[in-house]
Order: sequence, then C-alpha cells, then structure tokens
Amino acid sequence: MVGVLSVTYIGLMAVVMSYAALTVEFSQSVKNDEAAVATLESQYFASVAKITNTDYSAEGYTAPTAQIFVPATAITALR
Amino acid sequence: MRAQFRKRIRIVLAIIILIALGIFARLYFLQIVHGQEYVQKANQQFASGGSGLFDRGSIYFTRKDGTLISAATLATGFLVAIDPQEIINAEAAYVAINSIASSTMVTHTAFLADAMDKTKVYIEVAYHLSNANGSALAALAIPGVQVLRETWRYYPGGSLAAQSIGIVSDGSGGTPTGQTGLEAAYNSVLSRSGDALHKNFFAELFSNANNLLSSTQNANEGDIVTTIEPEVQTRLQDDITKVNQRYSSESSGGVIMDPKTGAIYAIASYPTFDPNDLQNLDPSLLVNPLVENVFEYGSIMKPITMASALTAGAVTPQTTYNDTGCIRVDGDRICNWNLKAYGVIPMLTIIQDSLNVGASWVAEQLGQSRFRQYFTNIFGQKTGIDLPHETDALLSNLSKPQQIYYDTASFGEGIAVTPIQMVRALAAVANGGILVRPHLVSSIILNSGVSQPINWGSGTRIFSVAAARETTVMMDALWDNALKVNGISAKIPTMSVAAKTGTAQLPTPTGTYYKNKFFNSEVAFFPSFNPKFIILLYTEDPKNVIYAEQSLSTSLLDLVHFLINYYAVPPDRNVATTTIP
Repeated sequence: MVGVLSVTYIGLMAVVMSYAALTVEFSQSVKNDEAAVATLESQYFASVAKITNTDYSAEGYTAPTAQIFVPATAITALR
Repeated sequence: MRAQFRKRIRIVLAIIILIALGIFARLYFLQIVHGQEYVQKANQQFASGGSGLFDRGSIYFTRKDGTLISAATLATGFLVAIDPQEIINAEAAYVAINSIASSTMVTHTAFLADAMDKTKVYIEVAYHLSNANGSALAALAIPGVQVLRETWRYYPGGSLAAQSIGIVSDGSGGTPTGQTGLEAAYNSVLSRSGDALHKNFFAELFSNANNLLSSTQNANEGDIVTTIEPEVQTRLQDDITKVNQRYSSESSGGVIMDPKTGAIYAIASYPTFDPNDLQNLDPSLLVNPLVENVFEYGSIMKPITMASALTAGAVTPQTTYNDTGCIRVDGDRICNWNLKAYGVIPMLTIIQDSLNVGASWVAEQLGQSRFRQYFTNIFGQKTGIDLPHETDALLSNLSKPQQIYYDTASFGEGIAVTPIQMVRALAAVANGGILVRPHLVSSIILNSGVSQPINWGSGTRIFSVAAARETTVMMDALWDNALKVNGISAKIPTMSVAAKTGTAQLPTPTGTYYKNKFFNSEVAFFPSFNPKFIILLYTEDPKNVIYAEQSLSTSLLDLVHFLINYYAVPPDRNVATTTIP
C-alpha cells in the first residue's frame, strides 16, 4: 500500500511539474507568435503610409477623365 | 499462500525500485547532463523584478472589412542585466553587448560605472533585444552577463492615433498602467490580475480554488476593439501633418466620424509622438487636444445657430432680413467678413456666404433665453467620449445680459468648445437632429473569447428633423456654389456634400483678440441627406493665411474624395444609367 501511494505521489508530482513546464512553454510560444504578428502589422502600417504618401502625378499617373457608375454592389461598399 | 504473497510483494517492490531508478536516471540527465542547458532556458524565462514580464490586453483598429489590426500589443524579446560581482572584463562585456544592442543600451560611461558597483548583483543595461539577438548574446556566455526574457508594450502603428490610443508606464508599485488615451480609459479591461498562462493550475487549485473558479476581475479582462479604421486614420493624419507643416501652424487636428452613431473612424492631431519611443517625449504632447482643449471656431458655429432658430420657430428658410454689412451692438461693431451689405436676403445666404450680421440677426430673433438654452443643451455637458480628461466648454458669456455676447457666439466667437463637442453638434445637423455620443470602442473581447458589444445609446434630440434638413440644404448650397479649392469649385457632380468654413481671431491671454492670428476650422458631411461621414478639421495660428477656405479646403476635399473611393460610397445624384449586362 505504501508503495502504491509513493508511486502515485511521485507520479502526481511528475504530472504537476510537466504541466507547469508545458504551460510556461505554451505561454511563451503564444507571446512569441503575437510579437511576430505585431511585426507583420508594423510592416502593414508602413505600407499604408507609403501608399498614402505616394504622389501619383509624379509617378506618371493622371486622374480619370470620366467616371461611369453601374448599379452593382461592391463588396467594400457601405451596407 | 504466504510464499505467493511474498512473491507478489517482491514483484511490487521490484516495480517500485525500477520506477525509482528511472526517476533517478531522468533526474541525472536533467540536472547533470543537460543542467547548463536548462539553467540558460530558465534564465530566459525568468521575469526580472524591475521591468517585469507583464501581460496586458491588446487594442485593435478595425479595417473596413472587419479585420482587426493591433494598435497596441505586446512584444517579446530579451533584456540584458549584469552582475557586477561576477563580471570579469567590463570593457569586453560592453563591446560584446553594444555590438548587438547599441540602440537600447546605456552609455559606455554608465555601463562601466554599473560594472564597478560591487554592492549590487543585478543591474539592467540593455532592453528590447529581438529573440535572435538575445539568443546570440546568450550563446556568448559572458561571465556576469545575464540575458533575460522581457515583454513590453508595442504600438505597431507608431504615431498612428497616438494621443487617443495612449501610453502605458509604471504606475504605483511599479505595475505598468495606462496613463493616457484608451490605455487609461480601459485600464481595468486591459490590465491583467496575474499572468494566467504562467500560473500553475494545481498550485492554484490547492491554494486559491475559489479565485480560480470565479474571479470577477478575470471575467472583465480582455482586449478592446476600436472603431478607428487604420487607412482612414493614416490619411487624416497625413493631411493634418501637411496642413500644419505648410502653414507652420501651432497645432492642427481633425476627426472623421459616423454622424448617425458617433463611431469615430479617425482622430488625429499634430504635433504628435511615437509611443514606442518615450525616452525624449515632451509630456505636453500626451494631451489630446481634441477632447482636452477648447477653441473658438468662428463660422462653423453658424449652422448650430441656424438649426436652433429653425427648431424654435424663430425663423423659417423663407424668412428674409436686411443685411447692412455692419451693425453696432452694445457699443461694439459687428461686420461681415467682406464688409459687404447684402440687402434683403433669405436665411440660406447667411450660411452660404457666411454672414456675421445675418447670424447675429438670427440670434436676436431667437432671444437670449432660448439661445442660452439651446447652446447649453448642446455644449453644456461633456460628450461622454471614452477618453480620459475630457474638458468642459467655456460658455460663461451666455450668462451675461449684453446682447453682444449672444451675437458673437452666433458666429463662433466668445464661447469655446472642444473639437469633439463641435463635431458632435454638427453631426446633429447632419443626422436629423440627434446629439449622439462620440466613441472609439465598439466592443470588448473578453478573455473567455466572448465579444461584448458596447451600447452607446441612441442619443438625444436637440433639433427638429425639418430644421436639421433645412440647415443641411444651406450647407449643401455652400459646398456646391461658394466653396473654391485653389480657385476651382469644390462641387462633386455625383455626390452632395454639406460644408461650412470657419475663421476666428485667436484670443490673447488678456482676453482681447489678436488682429493677425487666426483659428481656421472646416466641416463637411456627405452624402448631404443621408450622411455616412462627417469630417472636422482645424488648424491653430496658420501663417501667411487668414481664411479656412485657403488653409483647409484642399485637405477637406482630399479626404472627401478618399472616403468616397475607399468605401465605394454610392453616388447620390447625376448617376449614369449605364448598366453592364
């Protein structure tokens, strides 16, 4: 009986320690992934700023001379 | 029987001994064979007491398609600390660390001074190393140099909406706390009571089971989702910056809002700051002028005067008056901006041609009591926007008996309100008379994963539907018939836009007005009679320019066209009937 209890106790300790280690690993992994996403988001913001600051006239583009509207709903249109 | 029992006991003992041997073998490999490896790993996970491995919820921008983009999140990496008692060659250690973390490291002198301080065992010398750089430095295994895991607040957009997103810095007890903007307003949601993922579930189970099962604080923690659209925000910020730099203004700002709901798409001011670099920050830049500063706006107040008088029945759109160009009130002279006498004209001309004499006449028709009542209802309370430190409007002139104060208030002088109060009031003209509650946050994503929308209420009616529409007609006429951008009409053939410009003299510290310093403001909403957007821009003390039409119209027109194209706002007039089969 003592042996069984001892094994159970040691086993429980091993489970607790393994769980704690895995939790910390997982936590760090989540944080690292979030930080990697933040880096990508930073690149997205830089791209948006670059597009906003682009002088399209200087790049050789001209404004359209006419616009024709059609009765279609764009996916980006306000709902 | 007894022999069989002994045999069983021996088998059980053998199993126990085998398991024990296994455990000892495992411990030997963990502690002796791979000991150093785990020590290094543990050091990297160790949260230093000073800067702390802190956790905090994210703040998100919302793209027009609903995609969430982080405005504030957490970055992970490493900090470097030294143990002066262990360090052998301080100069060599400095060179090694500086070659990897030069931008965030203490100075050479400070490092050597720290290394000489043998009374201490832990001094941080460099921060915010990337994972790659941290691992590279750890691999050097410099005696007395520790490379430790670190987490810090990171704003991927840099200065994007910086004053409204806010900053985090050490509060009482060294705990990072939101100090300004949404970081402060939603601190209780964003802050974390503990690092939940680092908690040992079993330890919590035995020591703090109640808290583990039902923590009220945990239940309220989460991330916040703002209504700010990152590309609209970038565009507004870019336009504001250009205006400020072109006219060397003291400051400039703007807000783009949904006039029907009060949801803010963009809110920006200049000068601003990068919340990722607070080392050399001027603290005055932390103030959000759009909610914490009050200004006298000039003529963009006229639509408020007109809508109030129309709602009260003091005038109708058909009412006429004789405009003499200048009038004398309580000994002071009030004139139209161009000193021109317009003769007998209808109400529309007061807004379209921005006539001070006309606005004063309307204020007199409304009467002091009703004027005070309307303006107090509109500007007498804070908007309730979800940003800290919102300021009250200055309306004390409306408590005085002299008519001159009501006349000047009718065209936006002598009373001062915040930009967010001003855009809310003008949004009431746009949306049919409802004073909505401006807001930046649409929902909270709780840690449980549940998204909890925030109900900002349906607003309060202050103008009648008819008065709001009639005032909109006047502002619409201004955009189509009077507003010029670089000498060219601002009129958009396929889109109605309602607008108003405002120019006010800036007050001196002694209570008089500068003759040569001005405050320019401009507002537009569109489509005029079913508006999706309202834009308010201002610039304070622009140089070499007097009128808002000159300083702000280019940016306003750019923003209107940008929003129409970006959101594909359907045209509301002169639509071509061409169809695609």
